[in-house]
Amino acid sequence: MKNKIVISVLAALFVLGMAPLFAGGQQEGTAEGGQAAEQDVVVYNSYWSDPEPKRVEAELMEMFNEQNPNAKVIHSTVAHEDFKQAIRAYLTSSAPPDVLTWFAGNRARFFIDKDLIMDISDVWEEAGWNDSYSKGFRAMSSVDDKQYFLPGNWYWWAVYYDTRVFDEYDIEIPETWDELMAVCEKLKDNGVTPFTVGTKYRWTAAAWFDYLNMRVNGPEFHINLMLGKESYDDPRVLKVFNDYWGPMIDKGYFIESPASYAWAEAIPFMTNGDAAMYLMGDFIRDSYPEEDLEYLDFFRFPIIDPNVPVGEDAPTDGYFIPKNSQNPEMAKKLLKFFGSKEVQEYVAKELGRLVTNNKVDTSVYNENQLKGREIVNAADYVAQFYDRDTTPEMADKGMNGFMEFWQNTDQAEEITRQAGKIQATTLRRVTHNLLRTSAGGTLPPAFHT
Amino acid sequence: MLNAKTRYKLIPYAFLGIPVTIYLIWIIGPMLYSFYLSFTKWDGLTAPEFIGTKNYRILFQDEVFFISLFNNIEWIILFMTIPIALGLTLAMVLNRDIPGAKTFKASFFLPMVLSLVVCGLVWSWLYSPHSGLINEVLRRIGLGALATGWLSNPKVVMEAVIAVAIWRQVGYVMVLYLAGLQSVDQNLLDAAEVDGASAIQRFFNVFMPQLAPVTVIVIVISIIDSLRAFDLVSVMTRGGPYNQSSVLANFMYIEAFNNYRMGYGAAIAVIIFIISLMFIMFYLTRIAREETNA
Repeated sequence: MKNKIVISVLAALFVLGMAPLFAGGQQEGTAEGGQAAEQDVVVYNSYWSDPEPKRVEAELMEMFNEQNPNAKVIHSTVAHEDFKQAIRAYLTSSAPPDVLTWFAGNRARFFIDKDLIMDISDVWEEAGWNDSYSKGFRAMSSVDDKQYFLPGNWYWWAVYYDTRVFDEYDIEIPETWDELMAVCEKLKDNGVTPFTVGTKYRWTAAAWFDYLNMRVNGPEFHINLMLGKESYDDPRVLKVFNDYWGPMIDKGYFIESPASYAWAEAIPFMTNGDAAMYLMGDFIRDSYPEEDLEYLDFFRFPIIDPNVPVGEDAPTDGYFIPKNSQNPEMAKKLLKFFGSKEVQEYVAKELGRLVTNNKVDTSVYNENQLKGREIVNAADYVAQFYDRDTTPEMADKGMNGFMEFWQNTDQAEEITRQAGKIQATTLRRVTHNLLRTSAGGTLPPAFHT
Repeated sequence: MLNAKTRYKLIPYAFLGIPVTIYLIWIIGPMLYSFYLSFTKWDGLTAPEFIGTKNYRILFQDEVFFISLFNNIEWIILFMTIPIALGLTLAMVLNRDIPGAKTFKASFFLPMVLSLVVCGLVWSWLYSPHSGLINEVLRRIGLGALATGWLSNPKVVMEAVIAVAIWRQVGYVMVLYLAGLQSVDQNLLDAAEVDGASAIQRFFNVFMPQLAPVTVIVIVISIIDSLRAFDLVSVMTRGGPYNQSSVLANFMYIEAFNNYRMGYGAAIAVIIFIISLMFIMFYLTRIAREETNA
């Protein structure tokens, strides 16, 4: 009896283990077999996994198939966090996907340096992107004047708020730190929590650090901190925690137990009137309930020190072709498609993102997009985002530090000292890399169209 | 050629050849490679660079390692004692012919059918501080002061996750004991009763010794399950907030696949392997001894 069970379990495992092999075999069959002439297979993996972006991408794939009847795009969508973990396996495999989504800036340059990304200068040349993309975007995609990346779209970060709450308590949009604190106090007095935030995946807390550090110490200090040229164990960093962030947490300006919620799970606090504001990227719109969207507005993160240049987070997402792509011809075609004016216009209209091709007329933008664009254009410097500007490892430890601080606001000194120590031991071996690739350590270029 | 006797002796090895080859290629090979990787620095992209025991030296100074190790130990202790106590109690109760015993057995066993990921997701909602069932009930019955962010409060987060694992395990342990109770010798019980043994004496001196083999299996399963605990932590907290609910497997995963420190991750894996091996060896030698006895 016992043996029988063991044998059937083993048999089941064996069969299950073989299944992917057969599936893989079949796929290869279609790619290399007789059908290859009729169907040009191109594999595209993307991390646009939220419902709205997913819908738009499915439509784009249909458009591409219409334009290229003999192309067969095998398109898979992988959840954001999983994609980040899978990409190294993709890139080092002998038959990687032909086109991948990825983050512009240091995270792309890391792979370019390892010679894993295809030089697509020819695509830039043929598609005329050297003229139709701004210098900032071109520099962001280039290493040694060769292009490896296609910036696809970008978005801004801002303080989002519910206009109903602001109207009810007759609140003006705060432009300075004192005004923001007054708003928070007023909301709090009326039983409304000023800020909602869901920090389960931690990066929402990193946004607070990005903005506070940039507003207090300036974007230059911030980027140097990201690159390891400045230390977390610096009194200026401590100031961010003890003078600005800590008091906000202590005074109850954030919802309770934020670490219990993923970022989108914290949205209901805003829509049901328990909280008023959310520091977030514009993709909040994709997850905001449709019936409440008309009450969602945003303003620039208030200025803390008027003498400090203004920095904004404006992450750029895009595409690249892995060096070992099996079908570079079709991959380049797909890339040209993504960078084309038509597709960019479509994405701008359907998804509300800002796009990168200059040829796209600004008339396609709605009021929100123009306002967000204005915030970023008015900035002196543009950063990508905390976990995109520094190394994955430092980002992981840093964000843990933020979470610890959130729980123990009196521990800032210890936490920043720890972060400084981690930075000194872990960032050292990659600092060199970052400095070299980011054009001698200069700040990422601001977007100017 | 070979004579019949030798051939007869060799046949089992010929059959074993295939599984052993598969085992060597897919289990032993990668395992040895992991050992090698634990002595290297590897980002998963460029070639691994040999750095000796440095990973281990860093590991033994890493606070997160000790938090994770401690959490694993806590997991083992709670995961062993509570399900055994509850599972055995349920088994004793349901072993009698009470009405609806089958329904109870089935419903207690039901959580075991769910995958850990599903359990994790469902319980994340139950634990939700604002509108989750648990806090809602606490507030309704006037214990609102106890309501907390179960998965965000560093003081209770580990226990909150372990509770889910226990919830799922109790029914399983109950079934194991129910099976064990079938083999309890009724004559011994009757004899004990005739001799005037109290219920407590009967339980500890008659039931428990006869259930010892089941208890050993339950303990070993619990320990091994505790050491490889990963799914619930990964789904419910990812080790957060700030590593307070980290366990070794999760720590390894984050370092290797999130922070791209494959060598360091391999070193953590080796430590998990060594700890697990101690318990597995204990279990296997016991099984082997029983087999030779029988």
